[in-house]
Amino acid sequence: MSEIRPTRARATRRLKLAGLVIVAAIGFLLYKGLTSAIVFFKTANEAIAQRAQLGNSTFQLEGTVLHGTVHRRGSNQVLFEIRQGGVTIDVDNTGDPPQLFRPGLPVVVVGHFVGKSDRFASDQIMVKHSQEYIAEHPNRVKGDPGSATGTHS
Amino acid sequence: MISGHMTTSSRRMASSRLLNVVGILALVGVAFTVWLGLWITPNAEYFGNLVRLLYIHPPMAWVAFIAYGMAFLSSLLYLWPRTRDLRLDRLAGASAEVGVVFTGLTLATGSIWGRPTWGVWWTWDPLLTATALLFVLYLGYLALRRVPGERETVARRSAIAALVAFVDVPIVYFSVSWWRSLHQPPTVDLSGRHLYVHGSMAWTLLLGFVSFTLAYVWLTARRYRLAALSDREAEEGLSRAIDERRAEAESFV
Repeated sequence: MSEIRPTRARATRRLKLAGLVIVAAIGFLLYKGLTSAIVFFKTANEAIAQRAQLGNSTFQLEGTVLHGTVHRRGSNQVLFEIRQGGVTIDVDNTGDPPQLFRPGLPVVVVGHFVGKSDRFASDQIMVKHSQEYIAEHPNRVKGDPGSATGTHS
Repeated sequence: MISGHMTTSSRRMASSRLLNVVGILALVGVAFTVWLGLWITPNAEYFGNLVRLLYIHPPMAWVAFIAYGMAFLSSLLYLWPRTRDLRLDRLAGASAEVGVVFTGLTLATGSIWGRPTWGVWWTWDPLLTATALLFVLYLGYLALRRVPGERETVARRSAIAALVAFVDVPIVYFSVSWWRSLHQPPTVDLSGRHLYVHGSMAWTLLLGFVSFTLAYVWLTARRYRLAALSDREAEEGLSRAIDERRAEAESFV
């Protein structure tokens, strides 16, 4: 009988510890989820509307990359314009854009407004893509992904 | 008595054979999915070769969903007094364990997909956050199952935990439509019955779903049998211990 007690006590302690770790993990995830995930990004028009409150704080900004606005500057800077809800914002991104980055696709950029201007400095581009996957066709005229402009020639 | 034993064992052999067939079909199906996915299907516009991950990632997420659904249903039935049966508890445990494996695979393949397409391995997007939570919740469920106690007590508290953890499953599924997400909506839309891929890509994806589902059935059934055996071992060990103790007591008399 005397052998059973310490084992049970150890099992209870281990259970409590495991419970604590799990609760802490769930709490952390919920915190991350509720603070940043529910409003994962602000659209371009929302960001401009809240320009004063946002100041120079870091947030995620969403908009569609406009055609003819993408320029490279130096070795690792990309400049482009994004548009959402009728508002266009200039973005200066430092770092290489992801493989899928191209005009016409919506992106989420992580960064902040520069000084008092409406320019946005980002250090990360995340590409949103549609759930549609179309087989490559050598003779197809290329259009915007997800839109109906890609037609058979 | 003997004939009764024979029927049980022959029935077990028949179900064993059926299970082997399921296992072989799953293996062949997954092999075909890999072959079609890597060599036969075309590149996709914009995605190029990246699209090939499509044939395994959604099927893995699907298996995790049905695994948790099965754990939820059998736990519910276990808690219902009229259908209380330890076999349901074993099924819930086996299914959730397979579910955790496939949630892990979903997170891993999703991360591999996210890096080249979105540009990040991970981001605290609602869908991704809810899926990570799902993984942790069911890991907790599996840990809880191992906490010692009376067999029935363990089964009951596990069943309650399975019901609680399941709350996150619809949150994961609907997160892309409820909140702003980086993740695109499902390619296979279950509610609208719309498929966003065509031709050989669609067939390969369908084969992926079927073969991963078969793999789920096989894994869960094998895990269930293992649980049944270990329950029996515990039971027989206990009765043997009681017999030994009794024999010991008798020898003193």
